[in-house]
Amino acid sequence: MSSIIPKIFLLLSIFLYSTWVQAQTPAPPQQQPIAITGGTIHTVSHGVIENGTIVIENGKITAVGANVEIPAGAENIDARGKHIYPGLIHGRTTLGLTEISRIAESTDLTEDGNINPNIRAQVAFHPISEHIPVAAVNGVLTVVPTPTGSLIAGKPAAMMTDGWTWEQMTLREGVGMSINWPSLQNPSSYRQAIDELQQAFDDARRYKQAREAMKSGQGPNHNVDIRWEAMIPVLKGEMPVLVSAGDLRQIQAALAWTEKEGLNTVLVGDRDMDIVAEQLAAKNIPVILTGVIGGPNHQWQGYDEGYKTPLRLYEAGVTFCIAGDASAAYALRLPHHAASAVAFGLPEAEGLKSVTINAAKILGIDDLVGSIETGKDATIMITNGSPLQMWTEIDQVFIRGRKIDMTDKHNRLYEHYKEKHRQESL
Amino acid sequence: MKRLHLFLVFTLLILHGAVFSQTARQFGLRQNTPQVFAFTNADIVTEPGRIQSNATLVIRDGIIEAIGRRVDIPADATVIDMTGKTIYPGFIDMFANYGLPQPEGEEHIHWNAQIRSHYSSAKNFRPDADKSSNLRSQGFVAVHTLPEHGLLSGYGSVTSLGEGEANHQIIRPDFTQALSFRRSMAMGRGYPTSGMGTVALVRQTMYDADWYAEAHNAFSANRTLQRPETNHALEALSLARQQSVPFVVEAENELWFLKAIEIADEFGLNIWVRGSGREYRRLDAIRQTGKPIILPINFPSAPNLATPEQSMNVSLEALRHWYLAPENPSKIAQAGLTMALTAHGSGDQFMKNLRTAVERGLKKEDALAALTTTPARLLGISDSYGSLSRGKVASFIIADGDIFEQQSNIEQVWIDGKKFQIKPLRDDARGKWLVQGGEGLGGAIVHIEGTTDRLRGTITLEEKSTRLIRVRMENNRLVLAFSADSLGLQGVYRMSANLAENELLGVGEGHQSNYFAWSANRTEPARAEQQRQRTPKSPLQLPTRYPSMEFGLASQPEQVRNVLIRNATIWTQGPEGIMENADMLVTNGKIAQLGYNIAAPRGAVIIDAAGRHVTPGLIDPHIHASIAAGVNETGDAITSETRITDVMDGDNVWIYRLLAGGITSATLFHGSANPIGGQNAVIKMRWGLLPDGLLIEDATPGLKMALGENVKRSMGRYPSSRQGTEQIIRDAFQAAVEYGEARERWTRNRSGIPVRRDLTLEPILEVIKGDRLAYVHAYRQDEMLMMLRVAEDFGFTVGTFEHGLEGYKIADELREHGAAAVVWSDWSAFKVESYDGILHNAKLLNDVGVLTTLHSDNTQLSTRMNWEAAKTMRTGVSEIDAMNFITLNPAKVMGIDHRTGSLEPGKDADFVIWNGHPMSTFSTPDQTWVDGRKYFDRDEDMVLREQVKQERALLISRILEEQQAAMRNDQE
Repeated sequence: MSSIIPKIFLLLSIFLYSTWVQAQTPAPPQQQPIAITGGTIHTVSHGVIENGTIVIENGKITAVGANVEIPAGAENIDARGKHIYPGLIHGRTTLGLTEISRIAESTDLTEDGNINPNIRAQVAFHPISEHIPVAAVNGVLTVVPTPTGSLIAGKPAAMMTDGWTWEQMTLREGVGMSINWPSLQNPSSYRQAIDELQQAFDDARRYKQAREAMKSGQGPNHNVDIRWEAMIPVLKGEMPVLVSAGDLRQIQAALAWTEKEGLNTVLVGDRDMDIVAEQLAAKNIPVILTGVIGGPNHQWQGYDEGYKTPLRLYEAGVTFCIAGDASAAYALRLPHHAASAVAFGLPEAEGLKSVTINAAKILGIDDLVGSIETGKDATIMITNGSPLQMWTEIDQVFIRGRKIDMTDKHNRLYEHYKEKHRQESL
Repeated sequence: MKRLHLFLVFTLLILHGAVFSQTARQFGLRQNTPQVFAFTNADIVTEPGRIQSNATLVIRDGIIEAIGRRVDIPADATVIDMTGKTIYPGFIDMFANYGLPQPEGEEHIHWNAQIRSHYSSAKNFRPDADKSSNLRSQGFVAVHTLPEHGLLSGYGSVTSLGEGEANHQIIRPDFTQALSFRRSMAMGRGYPTSGMGTVALVRQTMYDADWYAEAHNAFSANRTLQRPETNHALEALSLARQQSVPFVVEAENELWFLKAIEIADEFGLNIWVRGSGREYRRLDAIRQTGKPIILPINFPSAPNLATPEQSMNVSLEALRHWYLAPENPSKIAQAGLTMALTAHGSGDQFMKNLRTAVERGLKKEDALAALTTTPARLLGISDSYGSLSRGKVASFIIADGDIFEQQSNIEQVWIDGKKFQIKPLRDDARGKWLVQGGEGLGGAIVHIEGTTDRLRGTITLEEKSTRLIRVRMENNRLVLAFSADSLGLQGVYRMSANLAENELLGVGEGHQSNYFAWSANRTEPARAEQQRQRTPKSPLQLPTRYPSMEFGLASQPEQVRNVLIRNATIWTQGPEGIMENADMLVTNGKIAQLGYNIAAPRGAVIIDAAGRHVTPGLIDPHIHASIAAGVNETGDAITSETRITDVMDGDNVWIYRLLAGGITSATLFHGSANPIGGQNAVIKMRWGLLPDGLLIEDATPGLKMALGENVKRSMGRYPSSRQGTEQIIRDAFQAAVEYGEARERWTRNRSGIPVRRDLTLEPILEVIKGDRLAYVHAYRQDEMLMMLRVAEDFGFTVGTFEHGLEGYKIADELREHGAAAVVWSDWSAFKVESYDGILHNAKLLNDVGVLTTLHSDNTQLSTRMNWEAAKTMRTGVSEIDAMNFITLNPAKVMGIDHRTGSLEPGKDADFVIWNGHPMSTFSTPDQTWVDGRKYFDRDEDMVLREQVKQERALLISRILEEQQAAMRNDQE
């Protein structure tokens, strides 16, 4: 007997060891109803419910409230003293499309040429990227990997941060058309790029017309152009253009151009957005802010100027979301960017919205995620406090009701080497 | 004795007076045109502040024979009437690169091509007609010419700007040495690549020059010793040092100026500093050096404000510099420093800029002295240059008025008794002319106005008048044309005429190509054009700021005798832990007492901090801010001779921003390009002070090292692998050990060839001896382990691993060895060697017992170190330990925990008052104190911002006013 215990322990350690060194195992679909009870529910859309209950069935939230009937056979998760938040949404990242940015072979972000509307981000979303579980266990449960680089870079997709294949992980494909407004640094190359962009839209319109004529029998046969085919939802206003414009001259040029083209427009940028906040509000253009943490743009500005763009947009009435750090490894920093805006004046509730419901609305996925509401995906997290506090620990995350393995590379290696030091009794 | 000897040599070398061929063979006919001139009725400024009106100057064969009001004009003199003219001594340009060819295929005497102390400007001198003409046109008659390529680039000479053979232009050959801290790309792009590398090379070369002399002395005494190398560069430098030759140091800003003084003091150099025009920014410090300064007269053009976007990019610093730079010469003069001027870098704007400097306060006597007597004295040529008196060289300026007034012109410059016409003798056709004869034009009045460059005019005949459609001078002929219809004639008349004094003799072509002759007499002389109206603007009252930029302070914040902070939550990071509702008394910049209900000393400043937290000032043990001219010396793999203290620049708005984030101390590091990089600096954020004032002098000295990807990345440089990195480090440490032994032997015995002082090996030796900390940039466990073993083999302890991403994998080894870990909270996967970075690194290291700190390696991140600490709490680190990561632990690492890092009686009063829990993401500093001085205050910051806004607006509107005025003038 006395000799068996060490052996069992050894076997157990080997077993644990092997799970430590493996990647996180995707969770199976939700089997039975789940009731999370006793926690403080931050619905984002309908206020805070103390001592509330969330019922999850078949991956969906079926009930939320203080007095909710729990279905028979539900697994009960006691969340007393805990907080429940919707999963965070990173609206613009390279997660899944790159592993180590300096290694070109590990990176799929930019296709050749300037006009790539047909590119679909999700097909290169690498399910076993080590960075995906890191995002998940840190509460970033929906991400929007976005092709970059070219003038029309392609279509980002909204992805869940858990699953066996990219297909399983796709929450919604084609959430927008990524356009990079050209730089004004060199006037002649700027002019050339603008002409090329215009030409692409004109050509796509002519293509759409010819195809519609063909389909209605009023025109001759017209073969497919895979590029312009991808543009049709954009031209119909069904798919927003996500126009990246950092400099205020770019922003104003993009505003005018997309309005002239009659496009459903979202602007993507940072500091200079606050100068034109009133114009954005007047034209009702939403904004994806790519990062808040940073110094001022100009030497004469106050030390905190960089953090104030979200506050200025909020005050002007612009709908915006914050899309933290685009690096794949740093998706977990998403809430810090929102938090930094709160540190410098943005109301905390707005900070939270900027990484949840507002991101969902801007990217057209608010029917599925972004808040804790009946009918939405049960993509939520249980924490010991606000995700905007950097010290907050996340106990458990759920994606579509699936209880996600809370192992990621960080805690896996930590446990692994803790064992090394435990063996040495350190 | 030596000086006297030199003086005699130089006196003999100076070619006295006019330049005639003494040894060259005379081919063909001899020339004996008399060279005797008497300039009469002139206002003669004989020297600064001395003017003789209506006086006469007599020169003979290039030498002044007589000067004064009662001078007998020699019978053989050509008399030139100078009524209305002013004569000045010719200017001397103190810092020119004149007549020295670009180095080409030069043989390298020294191993480093930047060291050319042997270079003779006299031997290489070739008069340059274009350059001398340009300099003459601005009043210069002689220059101090210095070779510009290299750090120690060779001998300077004084040359005349006359014409003729090189031999005859040299006034004083090879008697200064040129020193610069900016390498010349013309001499190659290798070591040194950075500012700190240039300083190191200059210092090493100075020591080498000393060694060179000693080594050769030893060898002459004992020919059986190993023969030392022959090196003309070191020989020249050694000689120059022994002879106290002046070193002319180029200082590209006020900080380099002060650095140059430090180097000069280290080596006892006699230096003159060529300034930058930025000295006003640190006038007191510059004044205290007492060194002669050579000032360029270049002023920045106004920043581009053409569009609002461009205007947004303009800093207050740039605006202030635009406004204040023209006051720099007057401030230097008022500071009482010996000042000479140079046209170097001014192109042909020298006189214009100088006149602007005069408008902005420079006294005319001071300006003239800086161009004449002062340079002549410094250059030792006062006997013949710098003023006008009997026996001096006839090199002088003739101007049409006060040379320092904007509207005056230099008309002629005489050098060695030879005239150079500066203002072109453009014949002046302006005035009123009465036409005689010619196709019905008799009695017409031609009225010509404008400037001599751009004439305009009218012709009037019997009260009918028309504008001339063409009027200009061509080859001393007046050319004009007009439409004759409006005068009652027909067609276009085209006319030209020879201009003599007051008479025109011309031909014309009238209607139907009828050619005719005409003439005219001037009935009214040329009227001087109204000078462009320069409305003198009221001077702007700009506040003094240190640094001269946004958020700069008029003076250092006061160190109040007693400050009592009450009712705060105090994170002592000492044995007292976190004290709730506690008080802290600060006295004379030190923490005096911590406790409850401390009685306020009389006159104490009391801060009620109820609901607020007080922590030690945050410390970032790894940033690269405030380092000028390159963070890496990439010219070699082992560059321990470089010192961050040589290139610190605290005039950086980030110092203020760091204070706003609660940072009070930091380590400034050399980059990670080299296995052994450079020596770091440990500073406090004493915003506004010069680099020396920022330093914490008793911090443990350190040496930056680096392992892994960065050091093997440099193409064509050993090492290219981690294995090679180990070997080159081992080799360097071994070399240091052997060096130490050799030096010791030599110091003991003093026999044989001296062992050269080696600035590269000395700091490595200090590391081995434990007097200097090795801060080792590393990512992977294998390289860290390697370094531990190397250190153990050489018997020292690694100070820290910087970044140490995989430290958690060998925390046990670090603990056992005693190395500290300086890590990030959450950086990982940005390159291959960082792939295994984990959030729990600090947690595991700390738990195992390794001295662990956080760092930023990024100035922006450094402003939010409390967030970095809070992130580690997610992995289970306690709040006290998390706070230690950014206060006490880095203080221990840097060897400053005896003065800062925790709030304990006796330590420096470096602390932050937070508006909430310091680990909350939402908390920010209300106040940041260093040494009991409040350098940041949230409310005062708002006032400062408003001041910055107002000051920018004031300067921008001044620029726009000036530009509008200039546009109006152009339109007229």
